[in-house]
Amino acid sequence: MMLSVEGLHVYIEASHILRDVSLAVGEREVVCLVGRNGAGKTTTLRTIMGYLAPHAGRIRFLDREIGGMRPFAIAQLGMGFAPEDGAIFADLTVAENVEIATWTRRTGRPAGDRLAQAYAVFPVLRRYGARRGTQISGGERKMLSIARALALDPTMLLLDEPFEGLSPAIIPEIGRGIFEITKLGHAILIAESNIHHVPEYTTRLYVIERGEIIFSGHPSEVQRDPAVLRVIGGTP
Amino acid sequence: MTANLINILLGGVFHAAILFLVAAGLQVVFGVQRIFNLACGSFYALGAYVGASAVNAFTGAGGPPALFIVPLALAGLLVGVVGVVVERGLLAFVYDRDETFQLLLTFALVLMLEDIVRLTWGTAPYSTSALYLAYGQVNLLGATVPVYNLIVIGASLAIALGIGWLLTRTVFGRIIRAAADNREMAEALGVDMRRVYAKVFTLGTALGTLGGALVIPATAAMSEMGIELIVEAFAVVVIGGLGSMRGAFVGALVVGVFRAVAIAVYPELEMLMIYLVVIAVLVLRPRGLFGRVAV
Repeated sequence: MMLSVEGLHVYIEASHILRDVSLAVGEREVVCLVGRNGAGKTTTLRTIMGYLAPHAGRIRFLDREIGGMRPFAIAQLGMGFAPEDGAIFADLTVAENVEIATWTRRTGRPAGDRLAQAYAVFPVLRRYGARRGTQISGGERKMLSIARALALDPTMLLLDEPFEGLSPAIIPEIGRGIFEITKLGHAILIAESNIHHVPEYTTRLYVIERGEIIFSGHPSEVQRDPAVLRVIGGTP
Repeated sequence: MTANLINILLGGVFHAAILFLVAAGLQVVFGVQRIFNLACGSFYALGAYVGASAVNAFTGAGGPPALFIVPLALAGLLVGVVGVVVERGLLAFVYDRDETFQLLLTFALVLMLEDIVRLTWGTAPYSTSALYLAYGQVNLLGATVPVYNLIVIGASLAIALGIGWLLTRTVFGRIIRAAADNREMAEALGVDMRRVYAKVFTLGTALGTLGGALVIPATAAMSEMGIELIVEAFAVVVIGGLGSMRGAFVGALVVGVFRAVAIAVYPELEMLMIYLVVIAVLVLRPRGLFGRVAV
């Protein structure tokens, strides 16, 4: 397994946010973590990324224990992260927002290759090169955030709600971009609140509710579980 | 009349050149670390004393007076390593604490550094032997201006351009601007913020200590010079806008020139004049001339 989380417990202040969360992402897998707002999806991703320290449990990435490591060190190991709000650097141009990932993490691959790959996934970004990072639409910011994470030349990507708050017109474009990334061989973990946004190429699905994993399996199996469907709002 | 005016203005610009260095240090630290470093004035005082000592040691050892600016500038820059010690040894422990706590800590530094200066150099004013006019004077439209002042103004301008180049053209500059904007995201891209903070704080400190060193041939170092400068640097930042480099530049010019004019016309109004400008800016444009957020 590329990433394996076992028995994770996380507290924020005094609240027990994650309870015994376990999940795994294999090579070239696209895994979706589905749950309602506040269920613990973002906390799971932020804990994997090192922003939050696990109270108990193990997080292994590329055969290394990363629980308790600082975010920058986890990024240097090859974990790319695109947060829900995009976190675009407002002071930099669109082009600089992508390029910065090639400055902050040096890998064996030339920067030119990495940039070309990031733009190949979302070609529309090329048009906005000189604009400030905040002068593009919400959907384009999501693309920019994912492209930036990809330019880091990561082995795995964490995408927090890549389809959230977007117009139905732009959702397929982001879905296509993520599909392009899967063809490059990256493992991807996507947090998603809407079961209908789960891409059809998802290999494994986890459902989280009140900080606990209540379902894990192939996306087609979730359709047969009415109790889980009631939680995530799908129609059987 | 013209000669007199030029003298006053150039005196103000000389002061502004020094003030800009200290204010730039304050701005870069605030911009990236969100810490309002009151100790910038103390670094300025420390730079002044160490610079004066270095020059006196240099001339005492038979160094040619015409080269005094070399040990002066080197000492001013090198004492900037105090910044690493302060950042790693003290500030690193309070980044997660409340801002008032951070402000108190930098104020404690002001008091400690002032006492360290008194213990080391005594309470009497300390200066370099007469070197201020070592580079002679020039006649500008009837006014007699020390060449040293012009050198400092030129150096400060060059540093301002250098900072602009660093922030907008270099990889390090763009990374620190990104980190200033969103620290968490910078970390997620593999940026070790501990190292960034250490570098930025050292840069900010070195700008302050260099400013202190450069002012010393024109005046004498006194232990309370740091506190006086903090007040002026604060005015610069309010006028120019918190966190903005352009703001530091324009703010320093405004404060430097207004102060020089006030001193020439009616010396008792020196500080009042600056505060009137500060109040005007706060009323008309609370975020300062180039700032993004209200102070």
